[in-house]
Amino acid sequence: MTTTASASRADATGSGGAALEIERVTKAFGAFVAVDDLTLTVPSGSFFALLGPSGCGKTTTLRMVAGLEQPSAGTISIGGRDVTGTRAHQRPVNTVFQSYALFPHLTVRENVAFGLKRSRASGIPGRVADGLDLVELGHLADRKPGQLSGGQQQRVALARALVNRPALLLLDEPLGALDLKLRRQMQLELKRIQTEVGLTFVHVTHDQEEAMTMADTVAVMNRGRIEQMGSPAELYELPRTSFVANFLGQSNLVAGTVTERLTKRGLLGVDVRGTRVLVPQARAVRTEGAVLVGARPEKMRLLVGDQAPGRGENVLGPGVVTDVSFMGVSTQYQVEVAGLGTFGVFAQNLLGGATVAVGSTVRLAWAVDFTFGLDGAQARDEGTVDLDDEP
Amino acid sequence: MSIAAALGESVSGDSAPPPRRTAQRAHLVLLGPGLIYLVLFFVVPVGALLATSLYVPVPGGDVGEYQPALHWQNYTDAIAQFWPAILRSFWFAFLATVASLVIGYPLAYAIAVRARGRKLLQGLLLVLVVAPFFTSFILRTIAWKQILADDALVVTLLHWLHLLPADERLTATPFAVVSGLTYNFLPFMVLPIFAALERLDSRLLEAGADLYASPTTTFRTVTWPLSMPGVVAGTLLVFIPAAGDYVNASLLGNNTNTAMVGQVIDARFFKVLDYPTAASLSVVLMVAILLLVGAYIRRSGTEDLL
Repeated sequence: MTTTASASRADATGSGGAALEIERVTKAFGAFVAVDDLTLTVPSGSFFALLGPSGCGKTTTLRMVAGLEQPSAGTISIGGRDVTGTRAHQRPVNTVFQSYALFPHLTVRENVAFGLKRSRASGIPGRVADGLDLVELGHLADRKPGQLSGGQQQRVALARALVNRPALLLLDEPLGALDLKLRRQMQLELKRIQTEVGLTFVHVTHDQEEAMTMADTVAVMNRGRIEQMGSPAELYELPRTSFVANFLGQSNLVAGTVTERLTKRGLLGVDVRGTRVLVPQARAVRTEGAVLVGARPEKMRLLVGDQAPGRGENVLGPGVVTDVSFMGVSTQYQVEVAGLGTFGVFAQNLLGGATVAVGSTVRLAWAVDFTFGLDGAQARDEGTVDLDDEP
Repeated sequence: MSIAAALGESVSGDSAPPPRRTAQRAHLVLLGPGLIYLVLFFVVPVGALLATSLYVPVPGGDVGEYQPALHWQNYTDAIAQFWPAILRSFWFAFLATVASLVIGYPLAYAIAVRARGRKLLQGLLLVLVVAPFFTSFILRTIAWKQILADDALVVTLLHWLHLLPADERLTATPFAVVSGLTYNFLPFMVLPIFAALERLDSRLLEAGADLYASPTTTFRTVTWPLSMPGVVAGTLLVFIPAAGDYVNASLLGNNTNTAMVGQVIDARFFKVLDYPTAASLSVVLMVAILLLVGAYIRRSGTEDLL
């Protein structure tokens, strides 16, 4: 038997989930604008991550997609159908809540069957069993949620959403409550499930590593807006704002002024306190005036004594090594350069540990090709992760 | 690798270590005062009641003089004579319970869920719910007698609106008795339901909506089952005292077609001085309530309330 409700849901779902289009959506709570003129497209079948610090509007965005909040302005379409103004239970969307929100009075099996019963789907027992097998919880089907561990509850919440084969699966920091090791395992597991079922996943997280590990596309959100969107590698290698540069991994940023354009080589010459640093024009947001020159710590290396830089390398310094931390696979150096601030340098422990001691005078060298240029009007420390901020 | 294996089974049945002797003694000491109180004021009176229910009149003695016996016929006589009052008691108590639930649930829901987060409003509404307790139960019931009186505003208005035929009255009717019961026991319905709904996690309602349940369905499948312990507690707290109540029936009833068993027991004890019949009726009432409540709790699946 097929009812109209499940039929329309099946149409919306297709095989690979549905695309999500958010167009010029704004959400204001009184005077506070949580989401500000947001436009975003998530292609069907993709694993999309909304990454940002707490309060950046990512959860509000997710709740608007789920129908738990209505936007103050703008439209939301799922699978080409405008769903703005419809209510949560009318949308072909399911959410894995941060708190899991399992029904405490129902067994695991009844929890998983809840959505299917509402949409009067056929073959519910079989689908519930399949869903529980997918998250490897078949043997706990008759337990109540209160009798499960956090990780097991998390997987019930996932199965409860997945069995409905939603056009869109929304994940609201679903791994936030798990410990680090379990979280890593669940990340891989979620990725496997997404590939297996081929649905569109929209994952909200403040954990940049989680977003990079799992998602095909990451949108970095800050203050209700999207700062930058792209593949994890793209965002990491070529951040376009200082927020992205600092929030996604770490960055060394220094202020400078564009002084020359080497158009033939496609490079910009930037004066950083008297030192000329080269930035590929294609990797610069601005090609004139004040800029921020950036490079990732693992791209930098230390030059000791009169060691010469390689060809095509920028050099800054000299500076003094203020801290050396041995991290196992790498060693992190902090180098204080007078007038420019502190630089981080990650060196792989190819030689079995630190090669430079605290107090040494060094210079910093890195390939011009890995240098990026940002708008000089942005704060250097925008988006630096303050550990106290995160839950 | 399977995650289930990595997680392990956190819910293994650890058995508690056997309690030590000193701990047992401490338990007894702590239970002592309560046990002594219960024995003195519950077990002994119930025993006396059971004994009295089998007494027979002293041959040739005065009115109200009885001697110990095992006269089981007291029970059959009492039931044969007063079964309408017994049935009526349960019927009125049932009606009052249903009425309190119909009035009390929305009220509790409004206070617990709708006014959630507005502490001042919630506190004020709760005070209003328990405010009647600040005056005597009897005084309030007498006040109802005034309100429902033939020449009072309510009846006049109902007559004028032709909602009540001109030759009908409200006072001394079953309606008045059930209304009185409902009014007097309503807070006992509202408070436990409020307590249950107060704990209701609103995120569960969002989860229901997210899983395609309309607000009505979410209420039926999530809110109502989760408030069930409150509903069961509330219905018991209303039904049990209402079934044994005699104040409402005495003050708002008419002694003939509104007599409740509590009223009969009261009259047997204090007016007719027929202690054995009064005692056997009390036992019948107690046993009947125990059976009904037991069956109800079993059916509603909330045995853990017992």
